[in-house]
Amino acid sequence: MTTQMKAEPPLGRVIVITSGKGGVGKTTSAAAISAGLAKLGHKTVVIDFDVGLRNLDMTMGCERRVVFDFINVIQGDARLKQALIRDKRLETLSILPTSQTRDKDALTKEGVEAVLDELKREFDYIICDSPAGIERGAHLAMYFADEAVVVTNPEVSSVRDSDRVLGLLSSQTQRAETEGAEPVKAQVLLTRHDRARVDRGEMMTVEDVLEILAVPLLGIIPESQAVLRASNVGTPVVLDEPSAASRAYEDAVARLTGQEVEMRVTGERRPGLFHRLFGRSA
Amino acid sequence: MSSRHANERPTRARAVVKPFQIRGRFLTALALRLEGGPPDVAFYEALDEQLQQTPQFFSAAPVVLDFARAPGIATPEKIRDLAHELRERNLLVFGVQNAGPIDQSALQSMGLIPLGPGRDEPGPDDAARRKRGVEKLLPPDNKIVTAPVRSGQIVVAERGDLTVVGSVASGAEVVASGNIHIYGTLRGRAVAGVHGNVNARIFCRKLDAELVAIAGLYKTSDTLDPAARDRCAQIFLEKEKLCMEAIA
Ligand SMILES: Nc1ncnc2c1ncn2[C@@H]1O[C@H](COP(=O)(O)OP(=O)(O)O)[C@@H](O)[C@H]1O
Ligand SMILES: [Mg+2]
Repeated sequence: MTTQMKAEPPLGRVIVITSGKGGVGKTTSAAAISAGLAKLGHKTVVIDFDVGLRNLDMTMGCERRVVFDFINVIQGDARLKQALIRDKRLETLSILPTSQTRDKDALTKEGVEAVLDELKREFDYIICDSPAGIERGAHLAMYFADEAVVVTNPEVSSVRDSDRVLGLLSSQTQRAETEGAEPVKAQVLLTRHDRARVDRGEMMTVEDVLEILAVPLLGIIPESQAVLRASNVGTPVVLDEPSAASRAYEDAVARLTGQEVEMRVTGERRPGLFHRLFGRSA
Repeated sequence: MSSRHANERPTRARAVVKPFQIRGRFLTALALRLEGGPPDVAFYEALDEQLQQTPQFFSAAPVVLDFARAPGIATPEKIRDLAHELRERNLLVFGVQNAGPIDQSALQSMGLIPLGPGRDEPGPDDAARRKRGVEKLLPPDNKIVTAPVRSGQIVVAERGDLTVVGSVASGAEVVASGNIHIYGTLRGRAVAGVHGNVNARIFCRKLDAELVAIAGLYKTSDTLDPAARDRCAQIFLEKEKLCMEAIA
């Protein structure tokens, strides 16, 4: 895969991928967005804040290369360089995995800040994959963020949790607590969007979600088999074969870097009846 | 029987005493205002009916027993029975108010605390009245919020009107001693006239509330007036009744 290298000093922008609710696609999105940014040539690192679960390294396909982790670095048992894993597919992409055997209390505010400060000197984008909930882990994942991607599914409970998280972003972050600082720039990423279910009234429409959350829309990711397939083989979906989901993530990444890209609502092309009945033997 | 909102004044002081912090907390509780004689079968039937109609309203809400209109039944034995019956119904009873001069240790043994203004207790009552007097002298302190009020947030205008330029989310709460104006959709709770101002009103661009209350009288989402629901609406008290109507 080809990447263009850049010569400017690193941007050092911290972006948290958060949601409140679990299972909505945060880790999938953190993997896809960081890989998408790296593919555009931006030096990118993605950090797993979900201590105890440790899903990110599997989604990125580097679980067997983990020696030291984020917690080791915070506790001074390893240097950052030893814990960072360089992606095999993209030289601009690194992963900072977390520990599966420690608990959330192993994270400290000072420790997280020190690690982020060191990463800012080297990377353009620092993507923080937040755990679910609104407690310590999620709080620390968002605390130092410049920007937030609030991952939301088009259903009532997910929208409500996202709303709650938006409230925390505007009150419980370093930017919120610093007089005169720009607030955290928050955008919604609508994932697992199933057009057929929206049409049948089983899911909320994009308009309904945005009306409630009242923040800009970063993208709409369709419900897609391609996501499951990619995550099963440990490949961020944007590095797998092109699909509606990978294109939607690429559009979202372009918007994240400030480009204007028209919003399209795609769905997986569903095979017609004829193909469903006869496609396999043909 | 009627339910009312009782409010503890927030304490602004925030003393940092390691290893813990003391913070003032604003608490909205339901007050169960008893009327007439001791609770009988009919009382509990009416209560059970109410609980069935609006279960989500009572779930997890702290409850205060108010004896202002039933001074005769504020004895330790009656309170004990009542608290027991209510707790059987999963109501979180934690305090009594207007119970007159009652044995503190008896209350304590029932896990109840007396809440001011305890009319017949000389000490705290004077202090409370003085405080109220002082607050009356303070100029009104209207509040304007220019961002949406998000789920889990609570915004309070202690002395005056509250204006929200944006929506109030489901799971959010806005409280004012005066009027509440919402330039957006009200999906959460709005409590106006919280210190008893019966002239306070709630205005919103679109009414889809979980709860609206004025001076303690409330309606929940399932008792909203259909003619005002999803409309630009105002909510006000008329002859001790909570009314709502579409405007514009
Ligand atoms: N767009 C999508 N289409 C289909 N499945 C998805 C999509 N996004 C996420 N998933 C699946 O949903 C599950 C939860 O996703 P994950 O990213 O781990 O969520 P979270 O990190 O928010 O808990 C995973 O099995 C993932 O493969
Ligand atoms: Mg996850």
